[in-house]
Order: sequence, then C-alpha cells, then structure tokens
Amino acid sequence: MGKLRLEITKGEEIRYISHLDYASAIERAVIRSKMPAAYSEGFNPHMKLSFASALAVGVTSQAEYMDIEFKEDMDLKQAIQRLAAVLPPGIKINSGKYVPANAPALMALVNLATYDVVVPVGKVEDTTAFEESIRRFNQTEEVLYIRETPKGRKEIEVKQYMDQDIKLIPQEEGIKLVIDSKITPTGSIKPGEILDILVTMFNLAVDKDKALINRTGLYVVTNGKRLKPIDL
Amino acid sequence: MITLDPSILNRVMKPARYTGNEWNSIKKDHTKVAVTVALALPDVYEVGMSNLGLKILYQILNNRTDTAAERVYSPWVDMEAEMRANHIPLYTLESLKPVVEFDVLGISLQYEMSYSNVLNMLDLAGIPLLTSNREENHPIIVGGGPCTFNAEPAADFFDCFILGEGEEVIEDVVDVVAVWKQSGKIDGRLGVLKKLAQVEGVYVPSLYNVTYHADGTVEKVVPNCKEASPILRKRVVKDLNAVEFATKPVLPYLDIVHDRIMLELFRGCTRGCRFCQAGVLYRPVRERTPETLLKIAKELVDSTGYSEISLTSLSSADYSCLPVVVQSLIDELKEQGVSISLPSLRIDSFSIELAQKLQQVRKSGLTFAPEAGTQRLRDVINKGVTEKNLEDAVSAAFKAGWSTVKLYFMMGLPTETDEDVLGIAKLAYRVLELYKEITGRRGAKVTISVACFVPKPHTPFQWFGQDMAAEFERKQRLLKEKLRDRNISFNWHDARTSFLEGAFARGDRRLGQVLLTAWQNGAKFDGWSEHFKYNTWIEAFETAGIDPHFYATRERSQEEVMPWDHLSSGASKEFLQREYKQAINEALTSDCRREECSACGVCPELDVKVIDWGKQA
Repeated sequence: MGKLRLEITKGEEIRYISHLDYASAIERAVIRSKMPAAYSEGFNPHMKLSFASALAVGVTSQAEYMDIEFKEDMDLKQAIQRLAAVLPPGIKINSGKYVPANAPALMALVNLATYDVVVPVGKVEDTTAFEESIRRFNQTEEVLYIRETPKGRKEIEVKQYMDQDIKLIPQEEGIKLVIDSKITPTGSIKPGEILDILVTMFNLAVDKDKALINRTGLYVVTNGKRLKPIDL
Repeated sequence: MITLDPSILNRVMKPARYTGNEWNSIKKDHTKVAVTVALALPDVYEVGMSNLGLKILYQILNNRTDTAAERVYSPWVDMEAEMRANHIPLYTLESLKPVVEFDVLGISLQYEMSYSNVLNMLDLAGIPLLTSNREENHPIIVGGGPCTFNAEPAADFFDCFILGEGEEVIEDVVDVVAVWKQSGKIDGRLGVLKKLAQVEGVYVPSLYNVTYHADGTVEKVVPNCKEASPILRKRVVKDLNAVEFATKPVLPYLDIVHDRIMLELFRGCTRGCRFCQAGVLYRPVRERTPETLLKIAKELVDSTGYSEISLTSLSSADYSCLPVVVQSLIDELKEQGVSISLPSLRIDSFSIELAQKLQQVRKSGLTFAPEAGTQRLRDVINKGVTEKNLEDAVSAAFKAGWSTVKLYFMMGLPTETDEDVLGIAKLAYRVLELYKEITGRRGAKVTISVACFVPKPHTPFQWFGQDMAAEFERKQRLLKEKLRDRNISFNWHDARTSFLEGAFARGDRRLGQVLLTAWQNGAKFDGWSEHFKYNTWIEAFETAGIDPHFYATRERSQEEVMPWDHLSSGASKEFLQREYKQAINEALTSDCRREECSACGVCPELDVKVIDWGKQA
C-alpha cells in the first residue's frame, strides 16, 4: 500500500499561521475524518504525515504537498472526500494520488519554489525606478545577506538560490515580483528575505511589510524540466 | 468590519492571534439575530482560549438562533500599539466587528491582576470606562468568573456581575436584553439594568450604595432601588448531566496554554482546604455520570481532532468512578490515538497507580501539592495529607520509574512560623533521600514551588492579615539558603505582585480610583512579570490617598462588615468563622462528600445537593 500524496492550499483565511500550526491543523483534521492514519512506533507515536516544504507566517500558497500513510487501504476518491469535509477554512485539496510506499520523501524531491510577491505602491505611473532595482539585483553576481534568527547571525550568498531572474509585472496599484528560488540540501532563500534585500540593498522603494506573498508552486526540476510532485 | 493591513500583521508577533477563522468558530449574520454577545477574557489569546467556562458559554449562546456570540481577547502589547496608531478599535475574531457595536460584552474575571486589562480593553473598544458615562447604544458590560464574588474594586466599570455558574443565567441575561431591545430599549440603560437585577445571580453594583465607618471599614451595602435585592445568591447548576458542555470548542491554530480536550468530571470540591476560594465558590460537589462523560469525550474527539484528553476538576482523583471512566476512555479512544492525562495528582499511591495506567508519557514530572511544610500547618489549613501519605506517593512514583517530582507550597499561611517554612526544605530533602533508598542511586530532581499566600474572600481565612512583602522575602531567603542542593530547584512568587493581588482580592469600591489611575499610568498585563509595574500601582494608591495595607495585611475583626458580605456563595459566615477557629485549634474538618456534613449551608440555602455516584451506588 502506498502513501496518499495531496496537493493542498493555504488560503487567505489562514495566511498568518505558522508551518507547524498548519501541519497540526491537518493532523487534527485527519483525526476528525476518522480515517485509519498510520502512526510511528515508540513511546510517543506521531502520525505519518510529511510535507514538501515549510511555509512562512504571512505567506499563502496555491500548491502545497503532503504525504500521509494509512494502516489499511483507503479508496482515493473517498479519502479525499472525507478529509476535505473536515478541513478548516483556507485548506483545500486540489488533487491527490497514491505514490509507492517507498517513494522518496517530498522534502527530498522538491527543489524549486515559485512565488508572487505583490506590493501595493499606489497608482503606478512610471515603473522605471522599480525596474532599475530589479535589473541591478538580477545582474549582480554575488549578494551577501545576513540572516538573523533566534539561533544567531549567519551570512549567506543569495544568488546561488535564484533559479531565474526576478520578473517585475506592473499592477493596477502596485507591483508584482515573480520569484523562482531553489531549494537545495544546503538551504534556500525566502521570498520575504529577497524583498528585504531588494529594499535595503537595491533601493526598491516599497513598504516591505505591506507585501502579500503567495507561493504559486513547488516543483521537482530534473534536466531543466519542471514537474509538480503530484505529477511524478 | 475591520480590515487589517498586512503590514500590521506582518510586524506583530503571532499574528494568528488576531485573524480568527478557526475550526468550529461560528459566524452569524448579525442582522438575523436579536442579541449579539462578545465574550472576552482580559488576557492574551493563548490564555483566553484556554478558559473552559467561555467555551461552554460560546456554545450555549450560539445554540440559540436569536443570538450570536463571538470571542475577543487582549491584544498583546505590540498589537495594541499598532491598533492605537492605526485607529483600529477592539474587534471580535468571528465577524471582525468592533466590540462597541455588540449588545453585550461578557468579561471573564479569573484573577484580580487582570483588572487593568479590562480597562484597557474597554478603552481600546471605545467604550466609556465608567458605567455612569455609558449611553443606551453602548454594550452592557457583564462580568463573570470567580472574581465576581468580590469584584467591588472593579464595580465602577461593570454594568453587572454574574455570581456563580453561567450555563443557565447567561440565557436569562440574553432573554432580558432581547426583550428590552424589542421594546425599543424602554427606560434606557437603567431600565435594562433594573430588569437584570431581578435575575437570580445577577448583581448590578450601581444599584447599591456603600457607606463607610470613620475607620475606613464598610458600614453597610444597601440597595438604592426596589429591584435590587439586599443579598445576592450565586447561581448553581443542579444537575451537570442536564446542561450543555463545550463539545464543539473553537480549535486554535496556535499552541494555547491548555491545548487539549478538557473533560470536566465534576464541579466543586469539598475537601475543605481553608485557604481555597474555589472550594467554597463551587460547592457542592456535583459529578457527571460516567455515561455522560464518555459521550462528551467521544463528541469532543470527533469535533476537534485533539489527541489528548485532560480530566479536569478541582480534584480529579476524587471522582468516584475514575477507574471505570479511565478504562472506558482508553478502550473506546485508543484506536484514534487519544491519550488521557490528569492535571494534578492526589497525594496517595492510588494516584500513582492511575498515572501509571495512563502511561503518562513524560516520566519526567509528577506534581503534588502538600501546600505546607509541617503536619501542624497542614492541619491548620485542613489539607488532610500526612507526611506518610506523601512518602507513600513519592515512593510509589519512584518505584514506577519517575525521577522528577514537583511540590507546590504556600508561605505566609496563618500561624506560620520559621519552623514551618524550613519544613518545606526538610520535605524536599526527604524526597531526595527516598529516591536513594528505593533506587540505590542519586539523581532525583525535586522542584519546590512556593507561592505567597493571598487571603481570599469567602474563605475561612478572609479575616487574616496577609504577610508583608518584606516578610515573604525574608522567608524566601531563609528557604533559599537551605535549598542549596543541585538536585533541588526552588521557585517562588513575586511578593509584591501577591501583595497587590491581596489588596484587590479583599478590596472595596474605593479601589476603583486606584485601578483607573494605575491604568492611565500604563499598568496592564500585571500578571506577566515583564509588564508588572509595581511603582505605578503604589503611586496610584498614593494619589488616591489609599493605603493598600488596609486591605491586604490588616487583620480584620470578626464583626467587621466585609465589602462582599451582600454577595453569597451559599456558605454561611458562621461556617467560615467556625472553620477559622478550627484552623487556630489545628483541628481537621471532614469532607462532606463522603463523610459527615460540615454544615456550610450551601445545600439548604441554594436547594442543591451533593452528587457523588460512588456514594449513591
């Protein structure tokens, strides 16, 4: 019996919950669904549930991926229906399929994340200055950024994580940045951090706190081809 | 409806505190209901969401098609600053509507140190702080919870208080408000308050005049209109099986303080510990049947997806059918991966066996509350626990594999001497010794947690003068010097916070001025040590010309009229006086639940009775 792989969303309603909260919301929904989820062995068993990539507080997503294992066979359509009926607002199931039990973990597969970052800047007459900031970022070979976490400060080189140049798309009342960033075994860069870099180091004149970030996709890139984990 | 700018939510800590949309939260169209109620707890989301009483009221009110109940908690200081800077009024988590637009604002008063947050919430909501300044269209501010048995210091800010259990009276309150609204708000605000005053258990403080003697003590509290009754009796639910329980609680996304199913086995505790206010306020003991509990537990697992059930009550190990209930919960819910836990243990080996059965995973912590360090003092407080009980319990725990024990005590109890204080240290070392005797090695960890005793209204110790802060600190130092073993860790409460809690717990209406001034000068989140501003409070007392010692540390005479004498828990003053004498005589009083009745007066006064299924079987 395989693992059930689901493509799910994190909607506007729950934009501000953390990844851990998101995961436990799903775990509790699975319990409510009364489906026979599998648990790990040991003194403190936990549900066999795994995700592709953590999503930061304040970020929505139209395509997250999770794998769940059951103790007994569950019909695909029925499993999706039963879970969908008890998911909290903001979490929807886009699609699902069974993958082999020994299929590699999502976390190990996914190596690219794409984001839309929308920043309101009022009526946009002339986007030259914004374009200039983005162009300079795209053309700079090496960008060093100090990441501050509760564990300490760490300097990271950002450009190694950029899969594509950042694209700027003018909006009615703001700008949209399309960011494709790599997820590597040694780390990745968050879209919020890229925005911070653009504002502090490349003079992008926006209020970064006002940004609405949406993850548009997670992919497995092999030989230059992007595949969704659900399409493998 | 409030719109929250992402820039605000991106800047504050834990923004999910402010955005709602939780599973089981209920959104109703306000134009289709007769009454809207905002249910508040004046503390941060994680604390407020953990309160069982509000969960129950939320469900009862939302079961009514004519009522919408929503939640609101104190924004943390970072969010408060954003709200003030951006002119965002206090709003509820369901509809994101300003609280000021609701008909009723119910505020749960769990501890005195949250009063400043009440004022802060009212201010953030744009509701006049003083009842006397409110107009017809402002919400009716209703206080509930244990503090209402003497919330006189906050009386100026509340339109009414509910005494006792809320399940039934909350519906009476809503009925009154619905009729009043339908009548076109006849006779205005005073009209509805007078109607509410006639509901059993509802206390409208503005309908009473308080006069004082020259020495500052209360002369009398008398009604100033015919609708207000001279004595107010608490509400009490006769049969807990017959009332709604919170079977569909709102499920938070964030980790909250009690992030699990709270299954209330029974209400009340008649062990009769003389310091304990809850023991008096929640009398008599009324158990739910095992059948009801099992049914509720299953509903809760199905509606929440929680995988832990905590068996809550004032003294859960006293539940008459505990082994039966525990076994059936395990049998029925094991498949869904649900575990059972007990929040506190009775000091005996029965409790240890039970804890073992529950396989309380983290073998790292068992908690007991001997409360006092010597047998003499434990007798004074009627804590029917002997040193042998404690030794047996701890030994059983060590034999079963536990190695960490947490012991809770109080200091400053009536008649306490230094010998009693040092007795705490002796017990701590005795526990370490027991571990070595039983396991043959060292390595037990003992945590000693010592609170500063705060005499509370409606207890046998309500006349007692609290220790001075300096005396608490001296005793803390005394104990600290004795507890210098690296296997013992020692925690104590801040004496100054306890002192202010003491003043407000037994305060009268004149403290309203102190509260207002302290809040104006920045007091809030006083229960959080990082926000507690002692000097602000002391200055507020000075400004008002009031001495906090008059309320906290003064020994009161038995004849004195207490500020809360018109508020009845059902227990008679004679009973409390008898118990005070028993305390001084170091004499024990038995538990009326299974032994002799101690004639506290609650059952005849309120026409209720003890419900103990073990006794009745």
